[in-house]
Amino acid sequence: MATFDAQITSWTVADVQHFGRRAGFGLTPEQASTLAAQAPGPVIDAWVDDTLDKNAFNAALPRADVVPTGANGNIPADPAPHPFRLDGWRRQSGIPNAQAHFAWRMQYNPNPLQEKLALFWHQLLATGAEKVDNPALTTKQVDLFRSATARGPFGALLLAVSQDPAMMIWLDTILNRVRPGSSDVANENYAREILELYSLGVDNGYNQQDITNLARAFSGWTLTPLDVQTDPNNANNQAPNDASWRVNSTYHATGTITFLGQSFDIGAPTRFGQDLPQAILTLRGPNAAQFLATRLLRFFVDPAIPATPLADLQALILAQGFDVGKVLKAVFKSQYFYAPQNRYNLYEGPVAWTVRAARMLCPTLAAAAAVSPVPAFAAWRLVVNPYFSQAGQAVLDPDGPNGWKEHGGWINSNTMRYRGKLAAALALGETTSGLQIFPSTVASWFPSAPASAVEVFNRLVALLQPAPIPNSVRDAWLSGLWSTFTWDNSSGTQQKVRELAFLVLCSPYAQLH
Amino acid sequence: MTSRRSFIRTLGAGAAALGGLTACGGGGGSTSPGGGGNPPPPPPPAVSGPILVVIQVQGGNDWLNTLPPLTGANAGAYRSNRPAIGIPESELTPLNMAGTGDVGLNKDMLGMDVLHAAGKVAWIPGIGMPNPNLSHFTSTDLWGQGAAVPDGSGWLGRWGDAVFAPSDILRGIAVTSDIMLMVHGKKRDFVSVVNTSDFVYPAYLRSTATPPDANFLKTGFLASLNGAAGDPAAGLAASEGKLWYDAQATFSTLIKARTPSVAYPGDASFTNPRNLTRLSSQLSSQLKLVAQMIASGIPCQVYTVRLGGFDTHSNEATDYPRLMGALGGSIKAFHDDLATIDTTVDGKTVKAQDRVLMMAWSEFGRRIKENNGGTDHGTSVLCFCAGNMVRGGFYGGGYPDLTKPDANGNMVSTSDFRGLYATLLDKFLGGDSKAVLGATYTPLGFLG
Repeated sequence: MATFDAQITSWTVADVQHFGRRAGFGLTPEQASTLAAQAPGPVIDAWVDDTLDKNAFNAALPRADVVPTGANGNIPADPAPHPFRLDGWRRQSGIPNAQAHFAWRMQYNPNPLQEKLALFWHQLLATGAEKVDNPALTTKQVDLFRSATARGPFGALLLAVSQDPAMMIWLDTILNRVRPGSSDVANENYAREILELYSLGVDNGYNQQDITNLARAFSGWTLTPLDVQTDPNNANNQAPNDASWRVNSTYHATGTITFLGQSFDIGAPTRFGQDLPQAILTLRGPNAAQFLATRLLRFFVDPAIPATPLADLQALILAQGFDVGKVLKAVFKSQYFYAPQNRYNLYEGPVAWTVRAARMLCPTLAAAAAVSPVPAFAAWRLVVNPYFSQAGQAVLDPDGPNGWKEHGGWINSNTMRYRGKLAAALALGETTSGLQIFPSTVASWFPSAPASAVEVFNRLVALLQPAPIPNSVRDAWLSGLWSTFTWDNSSGTQQKVRELAFLVLCSPYAQLH
Repeated sequence: MTSRRSFIRTLGAGAAALGGLTACGGGGGSTSPGGGGNPPPPPPPAVSGPILVVIQVQGGNDWLNTLPPLTGANAGAYRSNRPAIGIPESELTPLNMAGTGDVGLNKDMLGMDVLHAAGKVAWIPGIGMPNPNLSHFTSTDLWGQGAAVPDGSGWLGRWGDAVFAPSDILRGIAVTSDIMLMVHGKKRDFVSVVNTSDFVYPAYLRSTATPPDANFLKTGFLASLNGAAGDPAAGLAASEGKLWYDAQATFSTLIKARTPSVAYPGDASFTNPRNLTRLSSQLSSQLKLVAQMIASGIPCQVYTVRLGGFDTHSNEATDYPRLMGALGGSIKAFHDDLATIDTTVDGKTVKAQDRVLMMAWSEFGRRIKENNGGTDHGTSVLCFCAGNMVRGGFYGGGYPDLTKPDANGNMVSTSDFRGLYATLLDKFLGGDSKAVLGATYTPLGFLG
């Protein structure tokens, strides 16, 4: 644990901004200065424990969040005033709403770590909305990733996601049927992936027989629809707005299985195999801790995953009993996390990259709501589909249960193309139907008038926080924009500033965080 | 990863399979589509300006339901293991696979029976790797790397490293928004082209208007790409950004609008004699774009496309017909569409259909014994190649022996996947398969 033993007791604005980029979606220089004046420990604790004041955010949610529905079929008129309605019956057409809902929360949640951690778990416990075919259930899963369970003991989250409706549909748990005493063959889909992708890593401490037996333990797991909604346009089209786990004993195998070298009675009425997810961590602790440590390092710290930090984080996870919150606090408070080699060594995923720019350039929630309750919010519904997928991350709808290849996996010629197009929407003030997709004003980016072109550049860099841009590149840009620097409110000046922000965002340096 | 020679040694059990592999390794192993005993067809003409289209059949194709055995012990094993989702004989077109018994082609694989009858399909059942992995992702990576000793690069990427000039920006194109490992070279990746609209820099997200001051934004972008070139951290974004930048400059001047000459799956006018519903247009839309690029004279030699959805753990009886229809129907439509495209090679007019070879692969086959409604992950694969230049028939080491599965109930492969790659490199693309693959693998004999 030596890597994570030395903790910081104070931090600079640059440290806070590094923390903000990795644990959240960026902090403005002003926000970072405020936090830098506080001791890091309590700040980090508040983010991890999710104790920040979210009253204003929660008050805004009903305007852009899930619509409470009453009795079956009692559905408000469509679409206003709730752009991101997530009723189950909407199915495929509602997926972009669920994606926009997630992005909206990432942009405005006062505790960005709650959403960043949800993104981390979504990346790790990847579930595809297209097959789930129910945006309400997809969002219910993300709510699990936002909950206290997501920052508590990993074993509890592993059980919860095993019984999560979207996951149970995604990896066929609900179709895994073995009649007791029969020769029925269990469906191995979830059993394989919980070991390979969600807890241990491929071929890391289990074998095919473990998969076959674990699949039997999960047989008969099904869902109870609680709140069936009917599409008012199609009376035959019903889908649950909510659902919960239960066991259908007609299709649940009974008897004793051997799993990871130990015997389990999977028919016991009080368990029905529910003890198996935790058993993975109990019986293969070092393997699971190594797996989780790898994913945490790759997502939050260092994609190179050096051997010593990996071993030390593995030991830390074991020592903390897989308590994710305690582990995150130790990582974010460690001097190692802030070491120079861990700055700008990690490519940022396209969704977080877009959200971070929106956080820096667009009005705050309060400022947006003061102007107009809904239209002033970034129009995520216009952005998510298909542009997030073209940029390489169809958030909430990954192609496979392995999520996305991170770091260098985010970068190819097509994703660079679409990052450029997203940058145009973010920085150049692109409009659609007369409205800016990402509403922003150049004046709001500058708390005081810059005195030189370099000051304009420096302020944009302080907001957008790319990896250091060489002076030669900076000067090439500035000389192309201003032969003589003047600052005013003219459209010409605003255009130059927007183009500079666009070039910063498009540059290779700004893809790192 | 072991060499093909050691793979043969590891086969051990399964003398029939080993015999088939040895026979194939001797450089033949083909049978004509018309049936065993006929003289082999004449060698196909040399291809002028070869174009390879690699089709990823993603998810692990349950090819025992694509090409089920019709006779012998294999047929018995198939029927007993597939009581619910096995394809009835009435739904199969018999094909004679000499030496290993007859097989049937799933009639839902629209159009493939026609291509087969025309001698344009080389089937390679039972192809795989010495140490198969039942993980989608590990197995896909192994197929992508295609090396005696995998090193993280892809076999077509390494081929590109060896033969692409620096100016050959468009010579390898991924028609997917991700770059499959197969085309990830040590020097660079293939370029990704997923659509032709606004394929210029700079472009807005949603509108077609050109951003103001586009020339300055171009020079500014280029300045940052050049500034970050070779940077340990930002260098990857610089090189991929440069690849995109260079590609758009050329591509946008070459690409021309085109209306397909035939209907593809997903089109309202598509002929669908099996009445398959909800046919995916994922593959057909990519192949339409490939046809457009070929017709536009885009100087590309290898395209990669993908059809997903083959991870049929459940609902296979419902899903598999649709998958077969989309796969076969798209291939047949694309092949027919190419017949109407004239291209120019070395100053001569050549039909696109005479240049294009399709190769379909999947990360693994599936378990012989069905579960409750589907099949779980398996091993051995069915690959096939289609095109005018193909010597149609069956290749490789023969159909796996379904009565002698491995310890997990999976098929034992009868030929090495790198032999297929060697065939494509040495007999079609023009490359050094030993240098690209890291060892010598015997070609399968369906080309040249």
